[in-house]
Amino acid sequence: MSSFDIEFAAVTDIGKIREKNEDNVLISSDLGLGVVADGMGGHSAGEIASSIAVSVLAETIRKINSGSLQIPETFLPKLAPTERKLLMAANLANAAIYSTAQSSDVYKMMGTTLTGVLFDKDCAIAVHVGDSRIYLYRDGKIIQITTDHSLAMEHVRRGLLSKADADRSKIQNVLTRAMGIKKNIEFDLLKFPVKAGDILVLCSDGLYKGLTEQAIAEILGKDKDMPIVKLCKQLVRTSNERDGQDNISAVVIKILAPKKLTFGQRVKKLFSRAS
Amino acid sequence: MLDGQSLVGKEISGCEILTKVAEGGMGAVFKARHKALNRIVCVKILSPALANDKKAVTLFLTEARAIAELDHPNIVNVYNVGKEQGYYFIVMSFVEGQTLSAMLKKERVLPIGRVLDLFDGVLKGLSVAHEKGIIHRDIKPSNILITPEGRPKIVDFGIAKKVDKEKGSTKTTELAGTAYFIAPEQALGKDIDTRADLYSVGASMYYVLTGHFPYNGKNTIDIIQKHINDPVPDPSKLRPDLPGWLSLAIQKLMSKNPDDRFQTAKEVYTYFNKMRAEEQLKVKTMHGRAAIDLGIESSLKIAKEDKHSAETMRKLRAEDVYRDITSRQTKPSVTPHNPTQMPQLDSLGSVNDLPKSKPPLAPTQELVTPKKVTQTTIPSTVSAMATIRTRQYAKMFVQLVILLPLFLCFAAVCSYIFFELGKICSAYVLPSNGFFANLLSPILSGKMAEGQLLYIALAVAALAGIFAISAVRAYSKTTAILLALAAASYLSGLFTPEVALWNMSSVGQYLFSPEYYFCYLVLAAAWGLSLCWRLDRTWPERILGTALVFLAAVLSYKATVLSITPDFASMATKILFGGAILFAILTIYYMVLKAAHSMILPSICLLASIGCFWCYNVSGLAQHTQTTFSTLAEVIPMADPTQEQMQRQDQQNELLGIPTVQLFSAFAKTKAINYMSEEEKQKFLDNAIEEYAGPFIDQEQRPLFKNLLSIYYLSGPSKASFNIWDYAISYPIDNFNRNAQTNNAYSFLVVLLFVLAGLNCVGGILFKEDL
Repeated sequence: MSSFDIEFAAVTDIGKIREKNEDNVLISSDLGLGVVADGMGGHSAGEIASSIAVSVLAETIRKINSGSLQIPETFLPKLAPTERKLLMAANLANAAIYSTAQSSDVYKMMGTTLTGVLFDKDCAIAVHVGDSRIYLYRDGKIIQITTDHSLAMEHVRRGLLSKADADRSKIQNVLTRAMGIKKNIEFDLLKFPVKAGDILVLCSDGLYKGLTEQAIAEILGKDKDMPIVKLCKQLVRTSNERDGQDNISAVVIKILAPKKLTFGQRVKKLFSRAS
Repeated sequence: MLDGQSLVGKEISGCEILTKVAEGGMGAVFKARHKALNRIVCVKILSPALANDKKAVTLFLTEARAIAELDHPNIVNVYNVGKEQGYYFIVMSFVEGQTLSAMLKKERVLPIGRVLDLFDGVLKGLSVAHEKGIIHRDIKPSNILITPEGRPKIVDFGIAKKVDKEKGSTKTTELAGTAYFIAPEQALGKDIDTRADLYSVGASMYYVLTGHFPYNGKNTIDIIQKHINDPVPDPSKLRPDLPGWLSLAIQKLMSKNPDDRFQTAKEVYTYFNKMRAEEQLKVKTMHGRAAIDLGIESSLKIAKEDKHSAETMRKLRAEDVYRDITSRQTKPSVTPHNPTQMPQLDSLGSVNDLPKSKPPLAPTQELVTPKKVTQTTIPSTVSAMATIRTRQYAKMFVQLVILLPLFLCFAAVCSYIFFELGKICSAYVLPSNGFFANLLSPILSGKMAEGQLLYIALAVAALAGIFAISAVRAYSKTTAILLALAAASYLSGLFTPEVALWNMSSVGQYLFSPEYYFCYLVLAAAWGLSLCWRLDRTWPERILGTALVFLAAVLSYKATVLSITPDFASMATKILFGGAILFAILTIYYMVLKAAHSMILPSICLLASIGCFWCYNVSGLAQHTQTTFSTLAEVIPMADPTQEQMQRQDQQNELLGIPTVQLFSAFAKTKAINYMSEEEKQKFLDNAIEEYAGPFIDQEQRPLFKNLLSIYYLSGPSKASFNIWDYAISYPIDNFNRNAQTNNAYSFLVVLLFVLAGLNCVGGILFKEDL
């Protein structure tokens, strides 16, 4: 669990032209978890893939926390417990989607992106695959934490394409990694320290197609005391107004300084931890 | 929703579905019978997963309709397009035969003339489609069907198009086109035109002619990015019998910039036909032969194992290039191939040097000796690997023949310099001094013996050389051994100056004496320490390390074993013995761990184990000396100081102004001996030992006890017992130095270290890749 108080908010919107919302979001303050998944594949396969992704992820973490599921000792033993937990959950989610996809012709092509963040002490641990993103907003500045797994970004990394060209490119929808496509996939695992006052934004590609980094930073920085649910709604609404070609989803997470505890509460906490 | 298999037996658009022929991501292909025409057709059904994507469907239908309008012998005919029973379908003519890629797999090598014939048809078909504005987007050998009559037919027109959707559509993990044949602009997601198909034609020709993909990589992204970035490979490197004009034409087709390519498919096949006609004409006029038989040209040989040495290979390549009429400035180089992958062709040539606008030249000389050219086997992966390996062996050989003797000479010179230095310094050695005192005496004496300065300078130079060598990566591990060698040589000169360093005459009889065990101990401990000092140990290293620790423990016991056995009843002895075992076990434990948490800890444990064994073994001697000494101190009567002596002391004190006795004594100096002059004291002690201990202390040990007694009375009993332990612990080393005069132990140690340094160096050359 985190040493901070953390507020979560999540909004997802179908956009202007799509008939279905293939995005799925999940927030859970008792797990300290926020997830965005953006599904793909015809029919309703995209929706199914993304909903399997978020639900299996959350359910696995819950089971591991309660002790009803044990992480095998051979599973990446060098990582920290929280990192192992998150990766284990992501792997199970991938396996679940893959087996569903193999079960029927209709679902054959389905897959999803997955970007989730779990808090541990003063760190955020993120698992990431696909082209959804995590932004970290701190002291008026915004940075993108994750790297998109898209062919366009792969070209950018190799210097074959400029970032601006990549945003307009037709191949920015071509993912180089996604959940459910293969039995075993490689996840990006990122760990970064957070501090009080930070805001994390997890979003699907629909959001950042309509809003530049700068625009997101502006919305986040406008009113410090605005409840984050409102912030989240505003992000999605603004993006939808400007673009709206795709489903738009956002999870906003705000890190707050831990509340001062009274003496009695501290004693209680001490004992509850001990037990 | 029905899956593909259940369609069999159904009827779609008047066609009875017979069997499934193929299935891809986009949909399935079925063999069907057109009922009205009673003719076998081919029905393609769009995957149900895509049937809901409106844009995909629209594109699928538009493109299919456009192709239906095309009627060309080199394009698969489309009879009908539409939607029935919820399925989007295309009805096409059924082509008996096989795809070009299947044909290539079967026949392995296709004659150049045949390939040109096939692609002539492909280009003609493409030309017609391009005129209608239809881009294929996925030209590749498996999309070219060959009828039994040998006519090529392009299939899958525009099927790829529906995947390459507009901005804002759903994502996918697949890219339109196939990584091995994709045009750079297509791979970059730019707008493409008909010239992208020409690139794919070029890449396909490259593959069909050479049997290798133009670019290969560890994954799709890698390959795609090579299409964008890497220089255009030269197919004639893999197939030397390729006419120069064709090789250049393929490279032109594969230009990164569409403007540098041929601009239309028609241009390509016109050029091909013109060049072939010219070629035949040339052969006719030059040789009077009917025509060059491109059709039955000798096939491409893939050399299984090339027996040519690197030299002849280079020569062959050089001749090859000499004959090459295109006068390209490629160097005859045989570059390393990665054995796990197909050769990466870009590494073979410097195609970038080519001016891109240069028109391909007509073949002249090459066709004069076409047979000979084809005889030169191309350097396959295997043979290139063999060349590299040969080179590696050559490099190793050079190192063994030149570097190793150099290194050994250097080591010999070093040890000789240090031996001579030690010999000069041996003038300062006093037998009564301890080991360490003797070691330091040349430095502390403040005098310079004859030649000492010169040898010190040489020794410093040698040390500088040793450290300079450590900077060269190859010898870094031997530095420690060289230093040990220098130290051993120096000690040899210092303590056994009369024995020549290279005198090994009497080694055989002493191999199992404690002195020699000591030499073994030094080696085992040094080697063990070097293994401790490694973080990630491999299995052999761990086993070796464990064995060495065990050996070091045993040797440290054997090397220090004395005639007086330790008294095991005493607590100190038990602790020492237990400690020795414990530390040895700890070291072995650390050795067995793959990655120790610290490098220092196992090293300390190893040294502590050796130290404990040492102390355990000498504890018998220490206790014995202590007992003898205590008895001696008790029995020797010590007179109280006389009045006269006290007065003399007082006088001295007055003279100095300080009470010396009180100031410097830690021990109440109440005995007369404290007030004696140095000569009086020596005389008194000599007499006392002679009188009281004469029978049971032998002559050799008398100076020791005299010294101990004087320390006892001057500095107290604790200092005396400290000295006793000091004596006992350094006894094996003193013993070693004494005996080394007769058994050449130092020479033996030096030789052992020398051999070890040599072995280490050889091992480094033979088994280290980074050399």
